Amino acid sequence: MAEPIRVVHYLNQFFAGIGGEQEANRPPDVVDRAVGPGKALEAALGGRAVVVATLVAGDNYVAERLAEAVTEIVEHVASFRPDVVVAGPAFNAGRYGTACGAVCAAVQRNLGIPTVTAMAPENPGVDLYRSSVLIVPTGESAAGMREALPALARLALKLGAGEPIGSAEAEGYLARGMRKNEPAARTGAERAVAMLLAKVRGQPYRTELPLPEFDPVTPAPPLRDASKALFALVTEAGIVPQGNPDGIEARRATKWARYPIGNLDDLTAEAFTCVHGGFDNRFVHQDPDRILPLDAVRALEREGVIGRLHDWYYVTVGAGAPISRARTFGREIAQELVQAGVQAVIFSAT
Amino acid sequence: MRLELGTFPVREIAFGHRTHYADGVLQVNREELAARLGEDPNIVAVQLAIARPGESTRIIHVVDAVEPRVKVAGQGCAFPGFLGPAQTVGEGRSHRLAGVAVVATASLPGEIDSLSVKEAIVDMAGPGANISPFSQTLNLVLEFELAEGLLLPEKTASVRLAALKAAAYLGETVRQETPESVEVFELGPCPPDLPRIAYVSPLMHEGVLHNTFVYGVKTDSMPTLLHPNEALDGAIISADYHIAAYRSATYHHQNNPLIRELYRLHGRELCFVGMILCQTLIVSALEKERSASQVAKIARMLGAHGVLISMQNGGHGWADLLMTGQACERAGLKTVLVMAEMADADGRDPSMIMTVREADAIVSVGNMDELITLPGVERVLGGTEYLDAMNYEGALEASPSDEATTALRRLYCVNNQLGWGLVTASAY
Repeated sequence: MAEPIRVVHYLNQFFAGIGGEQEANRPPDVVDRAVGPGKALEAALGGRAVVVATLVAGDNYVAERLAEAVTEIVEHVASFRPDVVVAGPAFNAGRYGTACGAVCAAVQRNLGIPTVTAMAPENPGVDLYRSSVLIVPTGESAAGMREALPALARLALKLGAGEPIGSAEAEGYLARGMRKNEPAARTGAERAVAMLLAKVRGQPYRTELPLPEFDPVTPAPPLRDASKALFALVTEAGIVPQGNPDGIEARRATKWARYPIGNLDDLTAEAFTCVHGGFDNRFVHQDPDRILPLDAVRALEREGVIGRLHDWYYVTVGAGAPISRARTFGREIAQELVQAGVQAVIFSAT
Repeated sequence: MRLELGTFPVREIAFGHRTHYADGVLQVNREELAARLGEDPNIVAVQLAIARPGESTRIIHVVDAVEPRVKVAGQGCAFPGFLGPAQTVGEGRSHRLAGVAVVATASLPGEIDSLSVKEAIVDMAGPGANISPFSQTLNLVLEFELAEGLLLPEKTASVRLAALKAAAYLGETVRQETPESVEVFELGPCPPDLPRIAYVSPLMHEGVLHNTFVYGVKTDSMPTLLHPNEALDGAIISADYHIAAYRSATYHHQNNPLIRELYRLHGRELCFVGMILCQTLIVSALEKERSASQVAKIARMLGAHGVLISMQNGGHGWADLLMTGQACERAGLKTVLVMAEMADADGRDPSMIMTVREADAIVSVGNMDELITLPGVERVLGGTEYLDAMNYEGALEASPSDEATTALRRLYCVNNQLGWGLVTASAY
């Protein structure tokens, strides 16, 4: 028979049976066996795993010096060479949940040992750590212990054995904000027709792609006086000097660039082109001003409608761009524009 | 409309003296077929090869895949609008060689109006094959060399026509034969209590390079009504050379899995009332609104209770898809969307570019940004170097015969948005 999986269990002072608030300042301590809910956890592990140590720390001790306390705890964990670390369940205890999340994140990051914890979905530890830590959802109070432990044990066994972890739904943890491909039992067409029939019949159905939430973009307040403001042109439409000197890619661009327009009144087809690979841009090749309206903005400048146009325009290609990357580009470009004293941006997109 | 589709399963394909089909073996006279395809002056040379499931073979530069067909009875031909008049098909009898695909390949570098032909890979074995529709078929691979001085759309047009000619040439082998099985497609009467379902098929149209042809004509008109048999009988031809993973080959339109599934349940669990075609990748807001609204109107005129909307391509196409779904829901129609995801390699980017509240029933055919490592292979068909240039992040610099890691994007039709495959994505 294979060696049993080695589990280190993390608990706060209360669940370890040491005491309540009066003991919440206790520094980390090590017990070389399962204690408190760890006993039921060990039972749920069904003999395939043993709790080789329980680490206990006071809620306030950890909360008041999180980084330092977690470092101490991780050192203790390392000394037991576990295959997996289990923390909690913390239910709706905020300090405890945060500690569980922090310990798990640090153990994974620093020791490369897999971890799993459990807490109520509304525990503040969830928002802080769910993107990196496996969290089994629980009820709000310790009354949910009986439901929480089997799920926790099942995941601990898989992690400890180095087995792949399935989807959030299949394994019963809180989704980490990540989509992964996997084979379905039926084709997309079969699933689509079945989903539609359920929907039409008023039966329950579940979308395979919950709608993502986008950051709301709050429009800036209007300019007090456009005729005195410095304007800039920014675009994701891939308008670049002929020859694309910085090699901006036609899709999923990895860079942005800026080019001088201080002495230009018009973007000619001889001097500029469009490298955006996500739309039919014949009309831009004929006249790049159609996407980056330099000619029109110069006219507004001459008429005094706007103060002045910044001497550089900024460009990338937005086609297929990951939003995380677009956000970085946006910050970098905005920082330069702010430093240059730009107060208004005309952003053309395709 | 009643269409009989006779199936001739192909268990082996080989080159030989005479092109013919017998007992599941398709023999192909390589020289004769090459000579016919070479009649097009744009085609300088064509190489023919066979790729079988399980072989250590990689096919690159895939342009289209077509199922061999012949029109036996009823008006029209195997590919109306291309090989004959644009007469309505979907009635009478057609024969198909099943389990075999004509896979057209060509190295088509360069761009037109910034649009380019993207790399498209089929692996016949290994992890890439597990998810590829064309790792399961016996493939007659055509590698075309095109004349100098042609524009990209002229090159793709020649390859497209040649692939259809080759499929019809092979189909002729079973014109007079008796099929092993015959499927009948007919939208017969249904019990009145069954839910009425319409299928909405947005077809890709972008500029002069990427298109979908219906009876030989590009899709850029208002939404229209088709009998699903027309699609099954060769009316829809792919000219999508964009991101490989979420393409639909002509083969997929000929065997549209949504149409087949709706037919399977027709008269028993649902009443399939028709197929609505519309454009996807619509440029202007006005046209987007018109298209979405017209689709909903046609579905209502069909008395539909529910609509199933498939997808081609992405970007603006997904906006079109969501707007169409929204218009249908607002018209009181229950709606399910089929779409691929673009969630970045780690799956942490939002999967779609916009959302509408009404899109509460989506079937995901997987995240095409996820990475896959393809092993080295013994044989490469279709070309000698990956087609990438600098037009994409993470260009594939390896030799096509070597191991390489790529996003699924470059794997042909693995996230097909007609719902062909088993790949899906889930929350982790």
